[in-house]
Amino acid sequence: MILTILKKDLKLFFSDKKAVLLTFLMPILLISLFAFAFGGTGNNSNKKKPIQLLISDVDNSIDSKSVVSKLGEINEIILIPKNEEEATNLVIKGKYVGVLILKKGFQDSLKTGTSLPMELKYDAARQIEMGMLQSVLVQNLMSSIGQKSIKAKMNSYFDQNFAGIPNNVKEKIFSDMDSGNGVIAKTMNSKMGLKMTSVIKEDTSTGNLGLIQAVAGTAIMMLLFSIAGIGGGLLDEKDAGTLKRLMYSPLKATDILFGKMGAALILAILQLVVMFVFSWLVFGLPIFKDITALVLMILATAFAVSSFGMFLVAIAKTRQQLQGLSTIVILVMSAVGGSMIPLFVMPPIMQKIAVVSVNYWGIQGFYDIFWRNLSIIDMLPKIAVLVGIGLIMTLISVQLFKKNILKLIYA
Amino acid sequence: MMIQVTNLSKSFEAVQAVNGISFSIEKGEVFGLLGPNGAGKSTTINMMSTILKSDQGRIYIDGNNLNESKNSCKHLIGVVPQEISLYEEFSAYDNLLFWGSLYKVPIKELKQRIAHLLDLIGLTDRKNHLIKTFSGGMKRRINIAAALLHQPKILFLDEPTVGVDPHSRNRIFEIIETLNKQGITIVYTTHYMEEVERLCNRIAIIDAGEIIAQGTQAELQKMSDVKESVEITFNAMSLDQKEKLQEFFSLTINSNPNKVIIECDVNTELSKIISACNTCGLIIEDLHLKKVNLETIFLSLTGKKLRD
Repeated sequence: MILTILKKDLKLFFSDKKAVLLTFLMPILLISLFAFAFGGTGNNSNKKKPIQLLISDVDNSIDSKSVVSKLGEINEIILIPKNEEEATNLVIKGKYVGVLILKKGFQDSLKTGTSLPMELKYDAARQIEMGMLQSVLVQNLMSSIGQKSIKAKMNSYFDQNFAGIPNNVKEKIFSDMDSGNGVIAKTMNSKMGLKMTSVIKEDTSTGNLGLIQAVAGTAIMMLLFSIAGIGGGLLDEKDAGTLKRLMYSPLKATDILFGKMGAALILAILQLVVMFVFSWLVFGLPIFKDITALVLMILATAFAVSSFGMFLVAIAKTRQQLQGLSTIVILVMSAVGGSMIPLFVMPPIMQKIAVVSVNYWGIQGFYDIFWRNLSIIDMLPKIAVLVGIGLIMTLISVQLFKKNILKLIYA
Repeated sequence: MMIQVTNLSKSFEAVQAVNGISFSIEKGEVFGLLGPNGAGKSTTINMMSTILKSDQGRIYIDGNNLNESKNSCKHLIGVVPQEISLYEEFSAYDNLLFWGSLYKVPIKELKQRIAHLLDLIGLTDRKNHLIKTFSGGMKRRINIAAALLHQPKILFLDEPTVGVDPHSRNRIFEIIETLNKQGITIVYTTHYMEEVERLCNRIAIIDAGEIIAQGTQAELQKMSDVKESVEITFNAMSLDQKEKLQEFFSLTINSNPNKVIIECDVNTELSKIISACNTCGLIIEDLHLKKVNLETIFLSLTGKKLRD
């Protein structure tokens, strides 16, 4: 008897091609995705993609130009010249990881050996890229300007304190410094000092980056799951026969879909509101710093997510299919889009892929409000993308649903 | 003419579910579609109730071409699906309120109709109870009420008594009879011949997507050429007695020499037969009446039993 039941269930399972696909192919894709995100593609090349760094040469002197030129030769960096204000804005908006500003008086300071007026303004939300950039910059700046600056400083020091010191002794000292291994060189390297400034001024109105990531990332991922569940009610209606009865009434297929989507949208808005209020009450997330922007982002995110949920429902024919499909798709989107792992710890290629995910646009929008302190105007592109995703998904869902509704009823 | 169906066909991939059927139904009739499972009854109902497009043929509902005025037709018909299509987590009242609101019945009028229908189906006292707490028979009754809220002229009932106990089944029959008396034309599909016999004025026998025969039960009997008979076993029967009995009736004698089968109209000729047996000095040991019903007509017309 048990064997008969077992055979029957296996036969049923393998007759559902989508379920088979979801069971076997999707986990393989997930494994590949995570392996790619954390471990590279497996060729062990470890070849890093260059980081895009904005450069603003305010001094515009021979020495500053020489520095820019030398930095331009570094493989790990792609230099993009911009004026200081524009560059700073781009970093604030999260477009670039940072801007290196060579300020007025750079050449003079280099000659006199005084502290160099240069500053690296960076986006603290991109810590991993920033760490790599800082390491590459300090290393290369030292080779191009460090020695020159230190020699100038040492010369001045010798002239003031040891006026009669023979030139060969001076040269011996400089030679040791050139090797980069001497104690003096090391000491001076550390004193060259590259001023590092986060473009986001953390104050009481700015949220904690980790908290924003946790709230926005989790909220959107959980929202996707719950919307897929709500949309799945449509498939339950099919099983219960109420979908067929709805079709006997004067309703159109699209009325049914939009009705379900409307309910999903309202619940999505409610869910996001509850999550943000909870984060405000428990973790102190400053949700009132720009309430208009927050409302707009919640509406746009809820629309994109609910239409995406409907899209999943329109593809699936059974509850089981939906469950498998939504789990895999949502997990992939959440992993890629930064819900599960902050985007800034992912390799640059993954950060580029992230734009295909609803999660990415939602999370970045909430970053704009709570972390980057952007105005609504600056946030509009992200809101527009979310609304665009929502519209496209709705259009596809309508077509699929109209095409499949009879199949749904008679499946 | 309330419904006219002409040359209707529908196939699903390689399966021809309905194959060129035609029939018409007069106003106020109870029309039965009788056939085994998979005969094409539900497909026909689904096409007549607008949710399934036919491959070929025409359907007129109260003079409206269904393909041209689908929405008007939807208001003329009420459908009681085979499944109990209700929201289990809603109360009976809330279910009716929801299904009625889809037809844009003004709320005040809708509430009056709900009260009337709950009274008709005998569930007024349970109106606020959740559907999931109802018995199968009670759910079936709400299922019927949900199709009547917009006061349709035609009611399609697709096997409305599946899984229902005899008491509830009778209750459902009474409801259908009441609705028919109120002037609603009823199209009833089933594979239970006793339901059709009780409820339907006219019947279409459908098998493998085709209408084999249609008409009143008497008309179908004539078409099938099935006769009523009486089967009598005597304690003993001599050759003389047999010949004498044959003077009165045409006999069929089977392997048992003491048993005869006499084709007759059971209602009018039975007493005459018993009297003839007495005249012939035959003592009846056993007697079986073989009346003609839809089951035997169906068997005669299709060569298979209704529930095969």
